[in-house]
Amino acid sequence: MSKEQMQTGFLLELDKECRQEHYERTVAWFKNVQLTQSSFRQLLEDTVEKIEEPHIKDYLHTMLEHAREHEEKAEALFTIIGHKPSSVRSTIGELMGKGRQALADVIAFGGGAKGPWQDLQQLYISNYNSMSAFAVAEQLGLALGIPEILDVTFSVIAQKSTDALLLQECALEMCSKSILYKQSF
Amino acid sequence: MADKPNASSSNRGFKIGKAPVRIQKAPPEEFLSLDVPARPKVDASDVVVPDGYKVEAVMTGLSFPTDVTFADDGTIFVSEGGSSWPTRPYMPARVVIIKPNGKTEAITMNVQAGPRGIAWREGELYMAIKGGYHMQVAKYNLETGKLTVLIDKLPSGGWHEPGGPVFGPDGLMYFGNGSVSQQGVCLPMGFTVDLAKHPLAHDVPGQDVTLTGNNVWSRDPRRPYPYLTQTGPFKPFGTTAEKGEVIKGALFCNSAVWRSKPDGSDVELLAWGIRNPFGMAINEEGELYVSDNDFEEKGERAIAKDPDRIWHIKNAKQPFGSVKTPDWYGFPDICGDGLPVNHEKHHPEKGKPADLFLQDPPPWAGPAAFLEQPHSCMCKMDFSSSDSFGHKGELFVAEWGTLAPLNSPRREDLDHGFRVIRVDVKKGTAEPFMHNKEFGPASRIGGGGIERPVSCKFSPNGKDLYVLDFGHARIDKGAMFAFAHTGVLWKITKEEETHE
Repeated sequence: MSKEQMQTGFLLELDKECRQEHYERTVAWFKNVQLTQSSFRQLLEDTVEKIEEPHIKDYLHTMLEHAREHEEKAEALFTIIGHKPSSVRSTIGELMGKGRQALADVIAFGGGAKGPWQDLQQLYISNYNSMSAFAVAEQLGLALGIPEILDVTFSVIAQKSTDALLLQECALEMCSKSILYKQSF
Repeated sequence: MADKPNASSSNRGFKIGKAPVRIQKAPPEEFLSLDVPARPKVDASDVVVPDGYKVEAVMTGLSFPTDVTFADDGTIFVSEGGSSWPTRPYMPARVVIIKPNGKTEAITMNVQAGPRGIAWREGELYMAIKGGYHMQVAKYNLETGKLTVLIDKLPSGGWHEPGGPVFGPDGLMYFGNGSVSQQGVCLPMGFTVDLAKHPLAHDVPGQDVTLTGNNVWSRDPRRPYPYLTQTGPFKPFGTTAEKGEVIKGALFCNSAVWRSKPDGSDVELLAWGIRNPFGMAINEEGELYVSDNDFEEKGERAIAKDPDRIWHIKNAKQPFGSVKTPDWYGFPDICGDGLPVNHEKHHPEKGKPADLFLQDPPPWAGPAAFLEQPHSCMCKMDFSSSDSFGHKGELFVAEWGTLAPLNSPRREDLDHGFRVIRVDVKKGTAEPFMHNKEFGPASRIGGGGIERPVSCKFSPNGKDLYVLDFGHARIDKGAMFAFAHTGVLWKITKEEETHE
């Protein structure tokens, strides 16, 4: 390679146009993070109201505080790459949370479950949905070379992973009461 | 549980071809302000090389680069490894090409992991490729576009890497394959990702070995609840070993080094018991040297203060086809210094001490040609063959740098590596050759210097040393994260003397 050629270096996928393209594609995913998290939070809010057992109700109350914080963190992802969060996705997410309750009712009816057990089961799945959406956002942050995204997602995923264990415990523990004894809790 | 002794038919080739790559030429000042927060600045003036040499940044924005090599006309090839490392996203597995006229393109391939080592020979690019249960050695003809898989039966699917390929003055191809396990037994500690993909993967010895029957307890993350399980050496995770059990050695093993004809035929096992033979280099006398990384001081079989090392593979000097018994270099029971892993010097501060796995082990083929500080993570390397660059006959070694505090609790391990050293393999001594103003990666000490050198190779005329810098990896006591688009190709040249 000639001296003149070597006086210029090479930027690989770091030109403005390429970076902007990658950011736009990332924003599209961040909207999914918002949507799945709003959906989870809405379903959680409604499930807390349905549960009477004091300890499970308390666990879910604490989880709801986390969920509201995580919703704010989902919005913070946008600003890291110079964009604004979507208000539309948040509203759609809330509607999806309501829809998941209707689905829970259908499954509960078919499976002979009584009370809010099926809502717990749906929460378990919904939490995994939003956790994996944050995990994908984290991978995109690593792929783009942006540590600030990891700073947001890492603690959210860790908390959601802990929440998943709790939801699994509650759903598995309470299934016999709901299905065999046909009792609410 | 079933075994995976044979290469899957889906592991024999993949879609490959040439494609444009988004590269922009830029003056050096643009390297000082990059739109990548994980590495916002690349500045050669923050890099220290000996007086009489100069360093410059050739390319930045690489994602998880693994190796660099050259065609005879000076064309530069840089491999990007794709994925299969834990906690990192897949980035396109490919080989970026910079031609002597400054034009660029890439060899792209649809393979989940990707090229970890590359070599050029007679118009074809040879690649050691990780991914799936078996690593591959393949060659790609740039003119015809034909991919030929040469080797596909080497058991892999774990933590460590393929080695080579490199070609000796004898015209033979030399290649390696690291161990599946980190610590001599498959455990979740290094496997939270690999265990999901390859639950049946395990180490395979290069000769018959008898086991002590020691097994290791750990949690089993595969289950809905992580109950406890036991695992023995040379077994898939969750499978125990028995006292006196004989594990048959195999030609296609791991933690090993081989040679073959360039078409992959007549494979000959030279050595095994080498934990991670990622770096391989042959000097002008045809002597083969291999880098190897130390055990980790964490987890259920923790081993402290194991030095990184370079092994001299003495069997490489034997006539081709004459090696009946491979030499054994110590894995999984002997540290780089020749002491057993359960010696008090190697007792860990973090993790559970190790027990021995091998009853009546083979003779040890050490001592090492060179011992380096623990966790320096010596990677790819090359011999200087030119008086115009200097240090002819010395081995230049890229040191990726420590994973402490993740894999060692010791403060002294925190800045090991992050440099290029030159090693006198006859004397067993070394000197730093390329490093930052303070020892450590630029992301920790500040400035725009080097992060983690992963490969270094001399240009075909021997005048320039190219150093490939993997980029930024964030490490803490419990996790590691590597950032794409932070890799850099550096070039070191001896300055021409001026006469007044």
